[in-house]
Amino acid sequence: MADVVLSNVNKVFGTFTAVDGLNLDIRQGEFVSLLGPSGCGKTTTLRMLAGLEFPSGGEIRIGDRMVNDLAPGQRDIAMVFQSYALYPHMSVGQNIAYPLKKRGVAKAERTAMVAKTAEMLQLTPLLNRKPRELSGGQQQRVALGRALVRDPKVFLLDEPLSNLDAKLRGYMRAELIELHQRLGRTMVYVTHDQLEAMTMSDRIAVMESGKLQQFAPPQVVYREPANRFVASFIGTPGMNIVDGELLQENGRWIFQSQGFSVDAPNLGPDAQSGAAAMGIRPEGLSIGTGPIEGVVQLVEQTGHENIVVARVGDGLRMTGRTNPDQPVRAGETIKLSIDANKAHFFAEGATGKRLNKAAATSDGPAKSQSALKEATS
Amino acid sequence: MARKILFNIFAWMVVLMVAFPLFWMLVTSVKPQFELFRRPPSMLPETVTFEHYWRLLSDTNFLGYFWNSVILSTATTFVVVTIATIGAYSLVRFRYRGRETLAFLVLFTYLLPSVVLILPLYLMLVELGLSNTITSLVIAYTTFALPYALWLLRSFMAGIPEDLESAALVDGATRLGAFKDVILPQLLPGIISTALFTFILSWNEYLYALVLVNSDESRPLTTGVMNMLISSFNIEWSLLMAASVMMSVPLIIVFAFLQSYLTRGFGAGGVKG
Repeated sequence: MADVVLSNVNKVFGTFTAVDGLNLDIRQGEFVSLLGPSGCGKTTTLRMLAGLEFPSGGEIRIGDRMVNDLAPGQRDIAMVFQSYALYPHMSVGQNIAYPLKKRGVAKAERTAMVAKTAEMLQLTPLLNRKPRELSGGQQQRVALGRALVRDPKVFLLDEPLSNLDAKLRGYMRAELIELHQRLGRTMVYVTHDQLEAMTMSDRIAVMESGKLQQFAPPQVVYREPANRFVASFIGTPGMNIVDGELLQENGRWIFQSQGFSVDAPNLGPDAQSGAAAMGIRPEGLSIGTGPIEGVVQLVEQTGHENIVVARVGDGLRMTGRTNPDQPVRAGETIKLSIDANKAHFFAEGATGKRLNKAAATSDGPAKSQSALKEATS
Repeated sequence: MARKILFNIFAWMVVLMVAFPLFWMLVTSVKPQFELFRRPPSMLPETVTFEHYWRLLSDTNFLGYFWNSVILSTATTFVVVTIATIGAYSLVRFRYRGRETLAFLVLFTYLLPSVVLILPLYLMLVELGLSNTITSLVIAYTTFALPYALWLLRSFMAGIPEDLESAALVDGATRLGAFKDVILPQLLPGIISTALFTFILSWNEYLYALVLVNSDESRPLTTGVMNMLISSFNIEWSLLMAASVMMSVPLIIVFAFLQSYLTRGFGAGGVKG
């Protein structure tokens, strides 16, 4: 059952279109990330879901209600802000109790619910402190507590981890996944960090310039990016994208670029001769043998692998991964080959469509993943 | 090091220059009449007397004026702070055409010298049948305290993160509820500064009180005391100084109480980033 539905939603600020014809169908209990660079409209979308901005057009439904004109307090949502937005003059306990108080929950019941939430988030010893006396991680948990205490239908999270240091962020990521599994509530999570989106989500909605680029499970977004933008945005190190030309030779498709050409075996019916781009992830590039010659510019050691950046031809940079035991040094000339079966081909332009044959199903893994979650919770 | 000492000496000289008249006011008010004009003057009084204070309180209308000033300043402060708080909220949080222009127009009225406005205001207040009342002074003081108060509170308001209000709305508060629960407590230092400013301004104002109020029962302290103790034949210096001391005391008390609020870092730690 769909829990949150956005149909053809627009948001215009003056002459600037922040969100453009957005359609999203979020299932009950699903963890969905809105992912994109800053200014892509993801936060505006979340604020429209919260009722803090009103859409210029389209329809937003939560559960079975149309909520376009409902005030935030009437939508049965809770939100965690990037800045945490804790009330500075209230203690931790009062902060967590505030949404209950505003909904007329009796005092005794309120105290019990706050105590339960505080215990779940290990905030019990801090209940009488003021927000300014807490560390960043603790403030973050208070903000979560204020959202959790009411057991709303939908949780909205606006880059909640971006103010934490790297180690704490990893820890909170795991906490949030666990929390989502335990509560089974719908969560909409805004982030510009693709690692967070990949690790936490059931499905990722990739946005750019106010438009939805792809809405699919993490693995699908990674393996079958809908277009060049999604391909370049997802993955660290990023996908190598080479501009060139598609040609047809004796019934075979060939991609040709500066000084090398690759077979394009899996093209779908949309493929056309002419300007195009090829994308290959670092793991699709083998270093050692092959027809392409490059000069190593940089070797980044991460411990379990080395990331090699090489210059090919006229200023084209290609990134590959190697085993740390394989000696590659900066300045060395190396041979590269491209695994044609792992290559993606895109039509011309920054959001050029992917031209590969469609894979079996793009919807399957999401269902099985949430089914798995329901089974475990 | 030498520079530091020099600087200290300089600073203390300035402090002495500012403090001496206050000290002299206090000393004069407790000197008996015969010691007042002695030459050379005595720095500290040889006999301390409170007779001037007693005379002021029992024989004159000082308490009446004092009460008028209290009502006048409190009412003005209340009106100005209320309007300025709501106005500042509107200027900062709502988006409407001409918002910035409006803010600058308000500031512009503050730039006009108040002497220029005194006659038109007087005529308007007579027309309204408010001449010679405390109300007329409340209105007049509001016209020149409000623009500054509005700008002061506007900058305080702009410093309150919008997320706090959004959070309150999501948590189920109405717009008014969020204003009361979240904005007002955050704005408290700003409100106190504004209130202090307005109170001091109305307490010390002289010119408008002189022009707008001519009846003795509505006169505030400033014009009342001058009227009573300074005549063309004689200035009652001891009484004048005793009155000055008693006029200053309320301000000093109010300031001492509220000063800690002004400096306290109220909003620290609420939002991060």
